[in-house]
Amino acid sequence: MKKSLSWFTILLFCLFSLFPMLYVVSISLRGDNAFGSRSLALFNSQSTLKNFSELFLHTPFLKWMMNSLYVSTVVTLSGVILAATSGYAISRYEFKGKKIMLMSLLTTQMFPATMLMLPFFIVLSKLHLINKFLGLIIIYSSTALPFCIWQMKGYFDTVPKELEEAAKLDGCSSFQAFYKIILPMSTPALVITGLFSFMSSWSEYLVAAITLQDPELYTLPLGLKSFQASLATQWGLYAAGALVVSIPVVVLFIMISKYLVSGLTVGSVKG
Amino acid sequence: MILFKKLHTFVFLCVSMIIFSNNAMANTTIQLWHQMIYSHREVLKKVVDDFEAKHPTIKVQVTYRETEELRSAFQSSSMGGSGPELIYGPSDQVGPFATMNLIRPLDNLIPIEEQKKFDPLALVKFNQKTYMIGNTVGNFLMLIYNKKLVPNPPKTLEELIKIGQSLTKDFNGDGKIDQFGFAFNFTEPFFFVPWIDGFGDHFMTEKNQPNLNSKAMISAFGLMRDFRDKYKIIPKECDYEMANSLFKEGKAGMIINGDWSWGDYKSAKIDFGIARFPLINSTNLWPAPLVGTTGYSVNANIEDPLKLKDTLELLNFLTSKETQLIFTKEVSTYPSRFEARLDPLVINNDILKEASKIMEVGKPMPVVPEVRAVWDSLRGQYQSVLAGSATPEQAAQKAQEEALKQIQSMNEELTPGPTLYLVWLLFAAILGFLLFYIATRIKKFLKDFKGANKFPYLMMAPAFISIFSVIIYPFFYNLALSFSNFSLKTFNNWTLIGLHHYQSVIVDPKFYEVFLKTIIWTISNVFFHVSIGVLLAVIIEQVMPKKNLWRTLLIIPWAVPQYITALTWRGMFNQEYGPINIFLQEYLKLSPIQWLSQPWTTFSACVITNVWLGFPFMMIVALGGLQSISPDLYESAKMDGANAWQRFKHITWPMLQPVIRPAALLGAIWTFNTLNVIWLVSNSGEPADQTHILVSYVYKAAFNLYRYGYAAALSMIIFIILIVMSLVVNKINKESKESNS
Repeated sequence: MKKSLSWFTILLFCLFSLFPMLYVVSISLRGDNAFGSRSLALFNSQSTLKNFSELFLHTPFLKWMMNSLYVSTVVTLSGVILAATSGYAISRYEFKGKKIMLMSLLTTQMFPATMLMLPFFIVLSKLHLINKFLGLIIIYSSTALPFCIWQMKGYFDTVPKELEEAAKLDGCSSFQAFYKIILPMSTPALVITGLFSFMSSWSEYLVAAITLQDPELYTLPLGLKSFQASLATQWGLYAAGALVVSIPVVVLFIMISKYLVSGLTVGSVKG
Repeated sequence: MILFKKLHTFVFLCVSMIIFSNNAMANTTIQLWHQMIYSHREVLKKVVDDFEAKHPTIKVQVTYRETEELRSAFQSSSMGGSGPELIYGPSDQVGPFATMNLIRPLDNLIPIEEQKKFDPLALVKFNQKTYMIGNTVGNFLMLIYNKKLVPNPPKTLEELIKIGQSLTKDFNGDGKIDQFGFAFNFTEPFFFVPWIDGFGDHFMTEKNQPNLNSKAMISAFGLMRDFRDKYKIIPKECDYEMANSLFKEGKAGMIINGDWSWGDYKSAKIDFGIARFPLINSTNLWPAPLVGTTGYSVNANIEDPLKLKDTLELLNFLTSKETQLIFTKEVSTYPSRFEARLDPLVINNDILKEASKIMEVGKPMPVVPEVRAVWDSLRGQYQSVLAGSATPEQAAQKAQEEALKQIQSMNEELTPGPTLYLVWLLFAAILGFLLFYIATRIKKFLKDFKGANKFPYLMMAPAFISIFSVIIYPFFYNLALSFSNFSLKTFNNWTLIGLHHYQSVIVDPKFYEVFLKTIIWTISNVFFHVSIGVLLAVIIEQVMPKKNLWRTLLIIPWAVPQYITALTWRGMFNQEYGPINIFLQEYLKLSPIQWLSQPWTTFSACVITNVWLGFPFMMIVALGGLQSISPDLYESAKMDGANAWQRFKHITWPMLQPVIRPAALLGAIWTFNTLNVIWLVSNSGEPADQTHILVSYVYKAAFNLYRYGYAAALSMIIFIILIVMSLVVNKINKESKESNS
């Protein structure tokens, strides 16, 4: 009885979690008339891969993908490095201003992001960073950082302090102890932090829309959005593109799902 | 270790790529931003390529933006002193842009004889000056009919209803309609206002003031409701996409749509004809579609005369007879130059001939900025009529009142008030506090920094410097804006005025209503996130085999980008074609729910979407927490005879607290501040702006109604609310921790 109830719940939620994506799959496989089918079947005799071939052959989708890949990779690397060092410092050391710093990290999440767009634009254009990936990278890395730091700090809290103490007795410097002993042990958290940075830049739209104006430089969300027009959206193309955008992230998630449980540790606000 | 060395090289490579990736430039680059639909874009690309071939020193960079985004992006970039040289869009953006001095009058740039060659409808004037040149005239609505189903278009309303009723059919007898006589995006005021003229009045006065409280308005409201409820010839819930795809599939006999859709129907191989809106029998008047233009305007920021010359060159090329005819040939647009209209391409085109007849009864599209307020208040009240929460009479009256109110607040030019001193006092206090704080702490800090804690400070510096250098300026910019009179009329010369916006937020009952909704939104979301997350985690961890498989399947919602999810769910909630209602009807035998046309069902739809997005995160957090609970505890509890629920209550739940609490707090902050879901699922707050939470309300005030100062003040208030909220939560956490120990 208890078992079958559990199975039922899990299967129900699996359906709940998968169905919307299957729906997108079925739209992407329909030809011209993307909406307006009353059947729940995903495929029918008219299913076609037309939208996908159109996507790759007639739109700069691959170019956008490379742009996104480039931006996300740089953001991920810088995010992981910066979050690891500062998360470690917060976790291990007592110093003046620590509590304020930790609170201020949380505070940065509280400001409505949409209101930051206009000032972002003004700063970037003063620094001549409009239409450059660098501008985008700077903003992405710093906006993803607060959560990443929190997350790294939470993980380091769970690593026993004795490890570095032993290392220091063996003659390691503080940095060596961090770099050689603690960091290699923190793979799960590093992977998860990387995943967060990656995801936030892979699917970000608002900042990209104000920063990048040259279609050659578009990232995937911008490109995808260009299939949408106020009164004439290319729904089939959009759905096909949406799948192609989502799949890498889903694959990434599946690949590292073994780290997810051990690596995701949202630290408490208190030190 | 090797991995880390490889990373080093990789980082180095990436950094050098950033530094050396500067593009080579042609002599002049002209940017053109436009909002052309997909098929038109292809033509534009061809035309621009041709232009570049003829002018090798000029490079044209073409950027597409969706209409609303085009507007807000152009505003922001002009504020930053740059922006595209040419902007292409609908005529109604001229009013706001000209008011803000973002575009320049063309009268000195284009000789008057040249201007005379265009249809006056294509020369968009504001305050007696021409600001836009259209390459086409039209952008108007009409009745489009599928010749297979409707051989002869209805001339009168009675005929329309008759044909509509005869075509609205349920073929397979399952109680659901399979073919509609008529379909259109009837919830959108733009598709509704032409009918008002059929009852003898227009929605704006000659002087561009709103004229919403009229008998004609009330009759038109009634007619729309009757289409749906009395004659039952249109779908119950029908947005643009829905109407469009019904028509394209031959499942709707007639549709109201614009000239932009012709290409689409042609490629869907629909044999269609076009006609005027049907004559209203009781008045013997034609409904009047709004006729406008889409065209080019020139950025006011161009200073370099050479660049201006090149820009005009491009403008002339894009509006030339040849270019217009290419567009006519490829996508059947109606040219704006008189001489182009004499071309056989136009004369022999039956559709265009009919179109010019339809336009004879049209009215020009108003371009004044006030029209935005009119649309906005009309949309709200009109949707209330459709939802049955207001009578036509009430709605007409209220729409007029609201339009006047909105116009007033849009146009108000605030001057510094007495509270300005308070603002200066506040700034002085902040500055004083900071100085005091630094002066007293710096010594200690330096001592700390030079001494034992040099290492942690150095480790933290890069991250914190980058976070705060990015956040600080925008934050103070916003703070300043919130005390300023920044709005439509003061776009280029705003000043600080005091606490005005804070006062108007605090006395506005709408603010409290939205605030309450935001709290309900946050609490219900976090509640479901946590309870579903913990439930699934416990089941997976304690009961299921193949834990990895289930975990992987259940985290998929987390992995999909939010904007994709949100739009997908919007499609799924559609009343006629969304899989959710189909499921309810087919499998549970329930009656369909009109998800997206009632305030509370729309709100629930948003909550469901957001729950879908958020539960995997909590599930993973909870799974992590479960790992740290020792199995011995459960064993000994079992020995003591505790059942599953008791074990959960006394062991699992308390032991999960340390991981769940911070995650829930963070989740609450994110949920409070999330815009995507509400904005996309409810289509920017529909119905009638009743689905807003604070963040979407801010967004709307800023970008829809140009009330930047007000929006900034509101966002500061959101910020303060969240700070207070997290302080309170922390305090509770602390107390419960202390009472536990």
